[in-house]
Amino acid sequence: MKFSFNWLQSFFNKKLPNPERLAEVLTLHSFEVEGIERLGKDFILDIDVLPNRTDCYSHFGIAREISAILGFKLKEEKWQLKEDKNLKIENFVSIKVISGCKRYSARLIFDVKVGESPDWVKERLESCGIKPINNVVDIANFVMLELGQPLHAFDFEKIEKRKIIVRFAKKGEKILTLDDEEYNLGKEILVIADSKKPIAIAGIKGGKETGISEKTKIILLESANFDPVAIRRGSIKLDLKTDASMRFSHGLDPNLTEIAVNRAAYLISKICGGKVAKGILDYYPEKVLPKKIKLEIEKVESLLGIKIPKEKILKILKNLGFKINQKLIVEVPTFRRDVSIQEDLIEEIGRIYGYDRIENKFPVSALVPSKKNPEIFWENFVKDVLVSLGFTEVYNYSFLSKEDIENFGFEEVIEIENPASAFYQFLRPSLIPGLIKDVQKNQNEFKEIKIFEIGKIFKNKKEKKALAGLITGERFFELKGIIDTLLKRMGISNFYFDFQEPSPEESKISIWQIKKSAEIKIDGEEVGFLGEISKKILEKYKIKDKIVAFDIDFEKLANLATEEHEYEPFSIYPAIVRDISVLVPKDVLVEDVMNVIEETAGKLIRDIDLFDIYEELEEDRKSLAFHIIFQLKDRAILPEEVENAFQKIVENLEKKPDWEVRKK
Amino acid sequence: MKKINLGIFEKRVKKKIKKAKNLKELDEIFKEVFGKDGEIKRISKIIPKLPKSKRKVFGEKFGRVKESLMEEFEKRAKELKEKAEREAEEKEWIDITIPPKKVPIGHYHPITIVRRKIEEIFQSMGFEVVEGPEIEDEWHNFDALNIPPDHPARDVLSLGKTFYLKNGGLMRSHTSSVQIRYMEKNLPPLKIIVPGRVFRLDAIDASHEIDFWQLEGLMVGKEISVANFKAIVEEFVKRFFGKEVKIRLRPSYFPFTEPSFEVDISCIFCKGKGCSICKNSGWVESGGAGMVHPQVFKNCKLDPEEWQGFAFGFGMNRLAMLKYKIPDIRLFNSGDLRFLNQF
Repeated sequence: MKFSFNWLQSFFNKKLPNPERLAEVLTLHSFEVEGIERLGKDFILDIDVLPNRTDCYSHFGIAREISAILGFKLKEEKWQLKEDKNLKIENFVSIKVISGCKRYSARLIFDVKVGESPDWVKERLESCGIKPINNVVDIANFVMLELGQPLHAFDFEKIEKRKIIVRFAKKGEKILTLDDEEYNLGKEILVIADSKKPIAIAGIKGGKETGISEKTKIILLESANFDPVAIRRGSIKLDLKTDASMRFSHGLDPNLTEIAVNRAAYLISKICGGKVAKGILDYYPEKVLPKKIKLEIEKVESLLGIKIPKEKILKILKNLGFKINQKLIVEVPTFRRDVSIQEDLIEEIGRIYGYDRIENKFPVSALVPSKKNPEIFWENFVKDVLVSLGFTEVYNYSFLSKEDIENFGFEEVIEIENPASAFYQFLRPSLIPGLIKDVQKNQNEFKEIKIFEIGKIFKNKKEKKALAGLITGERFFELKGIIDTLLKRMGISNFYFDFQEPSPEESKISIWQIKKSAEIKIDGEEVGFLGEISKKILEKYKIKDKIVAFDIDFEKLANLATEEHEYEPFSIYPAIVRDISVLVPKDVLVEDVMNVIEETAGKLIRDIDLFDIYEELEEDRKSLAFHIIFQLKDRAILPEEVENAFQKIVENLEKKPDWEVRKK
Repeated sequence: MKKINLGIFEKRVKKKIKKAKNLKELDEIFKEVFGKDGEIKRISKIIPKLPKSKRKVFGEKFGRVKESLMEEFEKRAKELKEKAEREAEEKEWIDITIPPKKVPIGHYHPITIVRRKIEEIFQSMGFEVVEGPEIEDEWHNFDALNIPPDHPARDVLSLGKTFYLKNGGLMRSHTSSVQIRYMEKNLPPLKIIVPGRVFRLDAIDASHEIDFWQLEGLMVGKEISVANFKAIVEEFVKRFFGKEVKIRLRPSYFPFTEPSFEVDISCIFCKGKGCSICKNSGWVESGGAGMVHPQVFKNCKLDPEEWQGFAFGFGMNRLAMLKYKIPDIRLFNSGDLRFLNQF
């Protein structure tokens, strides 16, 4: 909000600090000054008045702040409104409030001469960015800038049956506003109406028909207090924001209407001539009285953490317009609508005294070791393992587009009522789409992509933490090795990879190429998937390379993980390694072959290591080559034991139809 | 018979040894001297022919000479071997200006790096790290935080900034909701920080995101004060940005704190002198804070007469942007490896 330095100065006899210094003082004690601009002989301060401080949506309000901060006395301006005893307002106009209005004060002024405003009025308005229109309207705006109360002037003779009604608009009612815009009003729009129709959008903008023109002779000056919620909602509904609506929608002091209407009537009679009718037309059924709050000096000290002398505290509050009695009962002026509890008073004391004067003090508290959060621990752990294995961590949006949802065939997704755009219409039910889109974005710059994410996914009204990652290229076994390493590092050993069972709904569109992917199971429970991304998805996202990915339920994983680890003694006796190469039909699993070896001579074997798969030798069979490592823990294994075991292995392997051990 | 002078013999051989340029030459000299038909052999053949009186003296001297020559050979052999090795080494070289071979390593997201640093600092001051749900209800996101329906702040947050879900619920627009969740279940004294994602309806640009990270902090006790808040937060920024960084508090307004402040940090780029980052003010806005509003305690069934404390909220993306001079907030969710691989 724009404030004129010269105008602020006019409230004081004492010279204010220069604009920069004043800005700094206001920033530290009241509101941030976002900019200072020179305008002729004046400086314009752009002050970010806090939304709960509507008393400072005015030059007088800011001047009161300055007075409290700097201890400068405010000038007492003397002006006296003269009324014409022969013209009694109640004889000319009546008011009826149906809803949305706490107070409606109005004055009637006869025989005004509408014309141009004097320079000093125009200057004030222009310094705050308001265009001068005519003396009556300008004075209404001037008083708003001065005191913070929006006012509206009607051409009284154009008001049908001299009746003012405050009500919500009826369906189908329209209004042409002062700036020649037509608005369709509705039940949520509060209006000022005469006996026939709306003549102004209450607290937002006046109507053209009853506006002030050069022909206007009698004016009705409105100074009202409208319901902030009604004005705010109306302003949003009509998409119409004005200086008045902004002030009303944050809530104003109902006791301000009277002062403001008198001030404006005084200025109008002085500048535009005319006679002010006696009395105020005033609808004010529930007078707002000052609140009272007990102030405890100990609480001030305890909350701020600094001892401020009592006299200083009292002086700060008094300078801000608070009254305090001997028993420290503080009477809050009604313009301070933001102050209602003791903590509010303490804020006043703290900020005016200066937060910079409060010295840092470390809290004294019981030494309670902070609890370890296992989920965060394992999250960090997983990140460490994956980063050490060459993965780059990404954070993708929690949102997906409708197209993404359809591409992946996700169901039971959560839709956003008011999305930022169509790209962000749904909550992600999986981390995979985001990762695939990352590949799409990066594939031209990077040959090999290796990324992962840990984040929330959303399905079925619920959220869950998930872990997913991918590498580009046909590297299933590498990724299997990575998952193997990861799980083992997390202290999980009882896991295995199982064939994926395509469920009926998944067979339509799936993330995975079913026959090239596996379920990751721990103790028989499925915790995630691993495998190649389906060709359909790759096509849809124009991915050039193959992608192998994993997708794991992180919460399950973190629950199964353990830091417990036990050292296992290794054999100190030599090992004997024998290689074996087996020809088996192509559909035989490596695991089946290894099981035969294991079952035959498991007790003598420390490890079986597949080192080659060769498929081109024969049409129907493939060759599998293993290192078999024979070793015992308690003694050296004898060559003849190895020889016997090896022979038995060969025998058992060859018992299977079409299995053949290749002799060298 | 030729007279043999062992002294001259010794000198002559030693001279030869010294002159040997390499091991091969030395080896030849060695053969000449100690070989099958070498000089030593020949001299030793003479000994029996000497008169008895001279034989013993000559023999002893001959022994010493042999020993001395042998030592000399060994010494020279060692020297030449070292020399040869040195020369060989000098011939082998690598061009160290060849660009380094890329070692495949992974990278943490900058938010993770910043988060770990934050957690480490606060944990060292006894704060517990807590997380909360990203899908929230109106109570935890608004009402309990003293933002009832019809409150202007509720309208600003709720209509303008919060994502609502079609089947009910909303995406939390701040991590402050976790303050409530924690206080509903735990009795003070308490010290927590809450790093997490938050969601705001906004037009995405270089400084606005719809999906970003916040750091919430909460400390509640019998006597927790503004002075305590200043100490904790200044300690945090000093350890995060550097010792020379200071904080300042400005009055602000949040419905859930009273008093409320805006926390500025002295500009880390210009050291407070004024630059484009701090718009020449010397200060950079970094977060909001305040003393927990008594109504918030009441909403969590805690007695505001008994407890008081502070709460704060910082933008983690903003902290990362300041720390690493990242100019555009959109980079965080971009998945762009040209960005991520720098961390």
